[in-house]
Amino acid sequence: MKKVVVPCSGIGKAFGAVSREATHLLTEGTHSSDYRTLCLPLLMTEDAEIKRVIEDSEVYTIDGCPAKCASTLVEHAGGKPVMQIMVPKVLAVNRDHKPNTVLDIGDGGRLLCQDIVKIVLGGGGKER
Amino acid sequence: MSFKPKVGIISCSGEDCPGGSISRDATLVVLHQLRATDTVTICLPLFLAGSGAEREFARYFPTITVDGCRKMCAAKGTAKYSSEPAVKINIEDYTGAACTDDEGKRVLSEDTRVVEKVANDIASHVDRLRSEWR
Repeated sequence: MKKVVVPCSGIGKAFGAVSREATHLLTEGTHSSDYRTLCLPLLMTEDAEIKRVIEDSEVYTIDGCPAKCASTLVEHAGGKPVMQIMVPKVLAVNRDHKPNTVLDIGDGGRLLCQDIVKIVLGGGGKER
Repeated sequence: MSFKPKVGIISCSGEDCPGGSISRDATLVVLHQLRATDTVTICLPLFLAGSGAEREFARYFPTITVDGCRKMCAAKGTAKYSSEPAVKINIEDYTGAACTDDEGKRVLSEDTRVVEKVANDIASHVDRLRSEWR
């Protein structure tokens, strides 16, 4: 079964755009056979099929801000993320990888996405 | 001068179908270019995960939901956790095709015309809702 990556996709902040882009790197790139994503808003609609997927899968969440929408909604749907990644905490490790804006995350943002991909591929089980 | 509210634009931003990327991009065009001073956005998941301020905004002020597919998660989520949206947009009505997760998730060059059309329609709705506000 594929692992599931759930980004917050926050539309108001560059970190949300980074979470989304990092997810697409995992689910559409060379690792697409191992990872899939799902629509976060679907977790708000009590969709039975998506709840089953969340409950039965190894779930990674990527959140852009302390509201932790992705992690909160996964838990709301009955899941328990094996790894909860906070984008600002990843940036804190390498401050050169700072994203520009929500419209264009820029080169720094793209490097930050790569950092997140490495963390996910490195395995889970704890909050970053 | 009479009070004119800002209009909340709430995008599904669905990660798992290209319609979600179109809805997100069209919403950002309105927020940052077409009606920057007349609109605000709310991260949809914050209706559930947030402090409650998001629910309060959509309870008292007009909102436009922009969904990538017929599941209409943004419209349903907004109605369930706050209040019925004033306008509900479905990207499939513009593309004429069902949004599926078999396709690539990013916005392609041929989708940019759809983004532009949706953004212009959202802007028109914003103008109407503000002019009709009492």
